[in-house]
Amino acid sequence: MTGKTPIDNTVVKTLCRMCSNHCSIDVHVRDGRMVEITPGQGNPSNQGRMCPRGDAALDMFYHPDRIRTPLKRQGDGSFVEISRETAIAEIAGKMMEIKHRCGARSMGVWKGEAVGFLQQEEYARRFAHAFGTPNYFSNDSACYNGRFLAHILVNGFWNPFSYYAKADLILLFGTNPPVCHPPFMAEFADAKENGANLVVIDPRLNPIACYADIFAQPLPGTDGAMAWGLIRYLVKAGEYDHKLMDHYSIGFEEVAVYAEKFTPDYVEEQTGIYADVVVNIAQLIIENRPKVSYYMGAGLEHHDNGVNNIRALVILSCITGAFDMDCGLIWPEDMPRNKLTLYDELPLDGEKPIGADRFPVLYDLRKECHSMTAMDYMLGNGDYPLEGLIVTAANPVVTNPNTRKVEEALRSLDLLVVNDLFLTKTAELAHYILPAASFLERSEIHMDPKYQRVYLTSKVAEIPGIKDEYTLWHDLAHSLGFGERYFPWENETQVNRYILEPSGIQIEQLQAHPEGIQYKPLTFQKHLSRPLPTASGKIELTSPYLKKLGYTAIPEYVPPYHLREKSKEYPFILTTGARKTLLYHSRNQNFEHFRKVHPRAQVEIHPDDASELGISNGNQVRIVSSIGALVVEANIVNRNELLRGVIEMYHGWEEWRVNFTTFDCVNDPISGFPLLKGVPVRLEKVENALA
Amino acid sequence: MGWGPNIFVSVDMERRRIYTGTCLQCETALCMEVCPVNAIKRDPETSAVIVDNETCLGCGMCVSACPFGYMNLDDFLRKATKCDLCGGNPKCVQMCMAKALHFGSINSLAERKRKQSDLRLGIRAMPADKDDGQ
Repeated sequence: MTGKTPIDNTVVKTLCRMCSNHCSIDVHVRDGRMVEITPGQGNPSNQGRMCPRGDAALDMFYHPDRIRTPLKRQGDGSFVEISRETAIAEIAGKMMEIKHRCGARSMGVWKGEAVGFLQQEEYARRFAHAFGTPNYFSNDSACYNGRFLAHILVNGFWNPFSYYAKADLILLFGTNPPVCHPPFMAEFADAKENGANLVVIDPRLNPIACYADIFAQPLPGTDGAMAWGLIRYLVKAGEYDHKLMDHYSIGFEEVAVYAEKFTPDYVEEQTGIYADVVVNIAQLIIENRPKVSYYMGAGLEHHDNGVNNIRALVILSCITGAFDMDCGLIWPEDMPRNKLTLYDELPLDGEKPIGADRFPVLYDLRKECHSMTAMDYMLGNGDYPLEGLIVTAANPVVTNPNTRKVEEALRSLDLLVVNDLFLTKTAELAHYILPAASFLERSEIHMDPKYQRVYLTSKVAEIPGIKDEYTLWHDLAHSLGFGERYFPWENETQVNRYILEPSGIQIEQLQAHPEGIQYKPLTFQKHLSRPLPTASGKIELTSPYLKKLGYTAIPEYVPPYHLREKSKEYPFILTTGARKTLLYHSRNQNFEHFRKVHPRAQVEIHPDDASELGISNGNQVRIVSSIGALVVEANIVNRNELLRGVIEMYHGWEEWRVNFTTFDCVNDPISGFPLLKGVPVRLEKVENALA
Repeated sequence: MGWGPNIFVSVDMERRRIYTGTCLQCETALCMEVCPVNAIKRDPETSAVIVDNETCLGCGMCVSACPFGYMNLDDFLRKATKCDLCGGNPKCVQMCMAKALHFGSINSLAERKRKQSDLRLGIRAMPADKDDGQ
């Protein structure tokens, strides 16, 4: 593939966006081609190192399968190339037709992970409101929002990851940082070098557990019981932050009373973790508090009790005293900036945002519609029809639960536009496909709240005909007639200037400091001098806000679905989504040299379960849930890696979509998250498989 | 430099341990001694034992000679392949976000190891800024 580099024979210092960790990279350009990416220096986030995904940005940019021209689907399902002008004009025409026929809210916009966050996300949100629809969806509905809401509900702020290197004890729940947050690893290494203990609590023995002083393996979805058990122990021992509980929080009495029943024995009964291990962990917290870091990964939010399990752990962190301090919960400050969203200027709360009735907290606190409910609206089972959708770099046909329904819903749309780098399973269903730009092809602002740093990335290369994300929304908005009012900036650099205006930081300063600038020094113990951003101004151990909405005020522990609905027909617990070293959700699987490492999907099975079912390594097995099935290769793991009765499969494979088996209708009542890590299934050996 | 991996990671799930191994750049390098065409030499700058792809015949004698298994034959190039320390800036070290891999002078690495073993033995060295030389 030909690409051009605006600046030749140089090293362009920018940020990596192969995941969301804001690592600095140096892109080496020689003779009009990007030849190498090496780690960038001077950024505390990556400390002069990088992971192999960063290197692979070049595979992505130069990939022969990149979509280069707009495509339009024909009656027979094939695609023909059309000009960009025609595509934009036709899409705008169909959108206007839907608006006239059913109202603007019958259009939706769906932002995916592959385009990034902050301004890429805000373009999509802005565009939706400018068009007149409140229906903004995103990948965050199945990753991140659950944790975000849990933190906001307790403290009013999102804790953007702690300074782990400063901790004397680090507890990790449901996460595998070497793979999903590589920069954390350097901090863990520093902490351990200074004598810190590491506790890993996860149903799967991930590589991070090999560094752990204690590794405990709970049943999926029981972390809330563990959190409450630890809370009880600390409260009983009187080993908690009395000042913080007495003066800066509400609901401590109720918490202490509710925690009563979570004796170490009860925790063992729920989680499967031995009572004395629970006590050992509690003792470690007492010995090291308040210098304790807790990190809850995506493993916790993919349960129907996820938000409350995470809330209980946030509360544990507060009770420990690990609050508003470096190694504990950080209360970050935003950079003063112009937001691109229109929630103040053009609120559309009265337009019945999809899912806001079922999951009011999700819409109220996150201004996000519920992507699973959207499928019902597309299929004509909602309060009004959802007829059109613009998807930008998301792949819900792979990553949303209940794949069969997602496919059916997207097929039923009058207009499906997919903006993406590659022809994904979702793009295959589109009426129009637009070529998307990668992060190397645009200049955007990043912010890292942990370090309170702001960065400007550089456009390193371009492919003729492929426009950046801003140009997409700009051109569509102008075709629809609201461009001048809402997308007046000519290009992304003008947008960047607008965003930065109130900050007092100039684009030129950021260009001179590609490793980022700290926009405000980080300060701690702010809660002593100002109220928290919650309704009460205090830590809400119990939430009056949730109570008013009809939820319990206390984050009660409800056993997970698989324990409540025990079934002889579906005796196994399927957990999905443990990360792969080189893949990122459904991204990167088409990079040839990554496929050497991850050649095909496998389901991980405990050796005793496998032998009982007569399954050998490499056999084809069928995973069957009450809604669907798929056939995949068996990988019999070491007996320490999984509990008996638990199986695990990666969620991003396009060819082996585990979400055929996962439910869209079992949801966390607060976040609306789907159950992705505790699905009751059965396993069958496939005889005579044509594999 | 070949196409295959030159650093090897094994995970022992029984003992929850991860091991990495790569060429030790031996002072008396058996691979170098056994090579019939003198294709294996020592880089004067980095002291790495390196294979000259132009000279290497791909006979595999060095693979047999290496007592540790860190010399390999590249399937694609049909040449001996091993860690060459990437010319003095090893990519594996750059890519190891966990700071498990280090590259430096032997004494700086010894110092790291000393600190870690002190910690295991419960010896906490006096912080440098408080050390008044006693």
